[in-house]
Amino acid sequence: MLFNSVNFLIFLPIVLILYYALPNKYRWALLLGASYFFYGSWKIEFLTLIVFSTVVDFYVAQLISRTTHSSKRKLLLGLSLASNIGLLFIFKYLRLFIPAMDPMLVNIYTADHPILGLILQGVYFSIPVGISFYTFQTLSYTLDVYHNRIEPERHLGKFALFVTFFPQLVAGPIERFSSLMPQLQENHGLKYRNFQKAFRLMLYGFFIKMCIADNLSPLVDKVYADPSVFNGFSTWFGTFGFGLQIYADFAGYSLIAQGAALCLGINLIDNFKTPYFSTSISEFWSRWHISLSTWFRDYLYIPLGGNKVSLFRWVINILAVFIISGFWHGANYTFLIWGGIHGLLYLVERAIKPSKHLQKNLLRKLVGGILIFAAVNIAWLFFRIDNLTDLPGHYSALMNSVGSQTLTIETALVIILLIFLIFEILLYNSRFDRLMDKLPMLMRWIIYCGLIWCISAWAGVTNHPFIYFQF
Amino acid sequence: MADNHFISFIKKVVPRLLVIAVVLYGFNRIYTEYVWSSDLKKHGTMLDELHAIQDTSDMLYFAESSNFTIGPNDTAKLRISDYIDLSFPSRRIGVINHGAYHAQLFLPLIEQIDTSSSVKTIIVTLNMRTFNQDVIYGEDEAGLQMTARLYQPQPPLLNRLFVSLNHYDNKDAHARDILLWKAWTTDTLKSTVDSITFDPNTIRRWCETTKFPDSNGVENMKLRVLADQSIKAYAFQIDESNPMVQAFDEMVAVAGQKNINLVFNLLAENVEDAQQYVGSNLVWLMRQNRDFLVNRYTERGVLVVDNMELLGSLHFLDRAVFPTEHYDEAGRKAIGQNVANSLKKIIEPK
Repeated sequence: MLFNSVNFLIFLPIVLILYYALPNKYRWALLLGASYFFYGSWKIEFLTLIVFSTVVDFYVAQLISRTTHSSKRKLLLGLSLASNIGLLFIFKYLRLFIPAMDPMLVNIYTADHPILGLILQGVYFSIPVGISFYTFQTLSYTLDVYHNRIEPERHLGKFALFVTFFPQLVAGPIERFSSLMPQLQENHGLKYRNFQKAFRLMLYGFFIKMCIADNLSPLVDKVYADPSVFNGFSTWFGTFGFGLQIYADFAGYSLIAQGAALCLGINLIDNFKTPYFSTSISEFWSRWHISLSTWFRDYLYIPLGGNKVSLFRWVINILAVFIISGFWHGANYTFLIWGGIHGLLYLVERAIKPSKHLQKNLLRKLVGGILIFAAVNIAWLFFRIDNLTDLPGHYSALMNSVGSQTLTIETALVIILLIFLIFEILLYNSRFDRLMDKLPMLMRWIIYCGLIWCISAWAGVTNHPFIYFQF
Repeated sequence: MADNHFISFIKKVVPRLLVIAVVLYGFNRIYTEYVWSSDLKKHGTMLDELHAIQDTSDMLYFAESSNFTIGPNDTAKLRISDYIDLSFPSRRIGVINHGAYHAQLFLPLIEQIDTSSSVKTIIVTLNMRTFNQDVIYGEDEAGLQMTARLYQPQPPLLNRLFVSLNHYDNKDAHARDILLWKAWTTDTLKSTVDSITFDPNTIRRWCETTKFPDSNGVENMKLRVLADQSIKAYAFQIDESNPMVQAFDEMVAVAGQKNINLVFNLLAENVEDAQQYVGSNLVWLMRQNRDFLVNRYTERGVLVVDNMELLGSLHFLDRAVFPTEHYDEAGRKAIGQNVANSLKKIIEPK
């Protein structure tokens, strides 16, 4: 079920009514059932993968906590890592290492052998939605139990809810057990304030997903399909447009997820903080997909030694973390390069780190901001292209366009982009619900009405699921 | 205490929801007045066409490409609807015509015909191939279903929002292809007479076992492909669960409510080629489907004009490639005149 669907707009109120009508001791069961329903509405068969991951990590964590034998604990941890990473490998990366198959042949095979065909579909074409997110969430749980940071959950059903909690199941934010589980157990009362904040977050989330991302998507698709036919402005607009599209798409999803969770009294972490106003790469990664970057920091970078190693090793660690985080996005070498570019930018930035005095300089910040915005958006090129052979053509079109076609950018989209820019400036180091708190009621309602108009009358019309679902 | 919380919550939420409802009502008025038309021009031109012609037409002809496709050697570039028009010189026939449209798109348009308009009769093409799996799971369907969503007789702003929320059958081409192959593999054909047996009894097996080897055992691929296309086009059995049947059923109900004469123009199919390339089993299926449609809708008071076997193979423009309802000049004329002759039973030519 997509957030931007009529089904979800019916599903959420039903869940909320039942949730607040039930005593707290039964709520976990309701939310678990709702979460399985939410996920199963895509492909019910893929629920088996979540159940598999849940059961393995639940019992492995129990066994780890009960044993003090170091090698046995390591063996159990290895089992958890192998099963989770194994699932990821089979459904996300195996296609890199096996011969390509004609989609039609796989479809014919699926008609003959539904179960094996489904696996082939998953391996070749449609990755089980959210697999990278929930496997990372369960991995963090097992690692935390292994390192004695948390006590394991003793109730399989409640643990299953932690893995599948529907607002953040398919595209994050990737939550930690220590943050989410206590909230899932807490008895939340019906609070108007939570609903007010949730409404604001979801409204802005729907606005940026449906109006910014979904309107930019067809324009970006056209340019990336054949940049050579477009004139210079259109090629640059389409290329940089992808940067805006992916941000609006993913940040919009995260805001709706936060809003949906907040209706249930549960706070999810902020996943984005106006990342395009970053003045350095390190700042960008503290503002972009925060739940993933902190995951890699805590479960990969620090275990590799963090910055408490030799310079050479540190450089290797940084590059490894960025490249692996790039590869997390999908089975394509382009993602590796995208991660590698960010790693190199980070290293260059650290090498030429200016003095603290200069860091506060307004001009330096401005120049830094423009350079980072440009660098990040150019790097998105590697993220968006299907394969490296597309790169020279796209680069050539950017630098020396000879095409004559012009993208048609409608007035409504220009207005929407301006509204978005104004909000992004106002939301620097803030969040939409907090920003609204500072405004008088009349102003708030003018903004609400404006956003409702944009969503209902000017949202994109073509079918675009969330980009991060494919990861 | 809990009750107090709940009442206080309701007291805060309900007025705000009411404000939003009023705002949405106002927005719908604004949208309908100033934006809807341009959205229709981009995503669904036929509703605008309907609005433009319904007050100046006595009859409306709803059709897909069968109406407007002209052959390269045709001298008179007249459409089927033009030939009907010629038979009713003092009646005004408006045409709603769009390639690949089918019952699911015609239905919401017919629902929007104003009862105060001058339209008293509507003629809708009953294209047998639109009932088959290849069309139902066709890759163009998502776009057509989006258009159908825009045409629904609901507040335009709601339709626009539903389109943005992808609230229509928006399965992508890959997902549809999976369903198509499943249908071709598992949907079985059943005979109701002793003289016909289906072995193999699925489209896929039928295509796989239909071969045209020459004396040296070399396959005639041209004939093989034509047979394959004919089987995929016509080897199916229409029943009440077919989504097109449901759409035509609703159309009958809507026409009844609006007190409009409904005429179904069952289009000509290339029966001769189906017989030649595949055989009598396929023709039996075509006739069985024709009988189902004619009987079903005649019983419901619709004038069904049966043109299925009206034309010989030579009148089909695409016969060398695959079965379509694209006819040459003589074919269009024959169908138009046949429809007009049937119409004269219920309409005075004046």
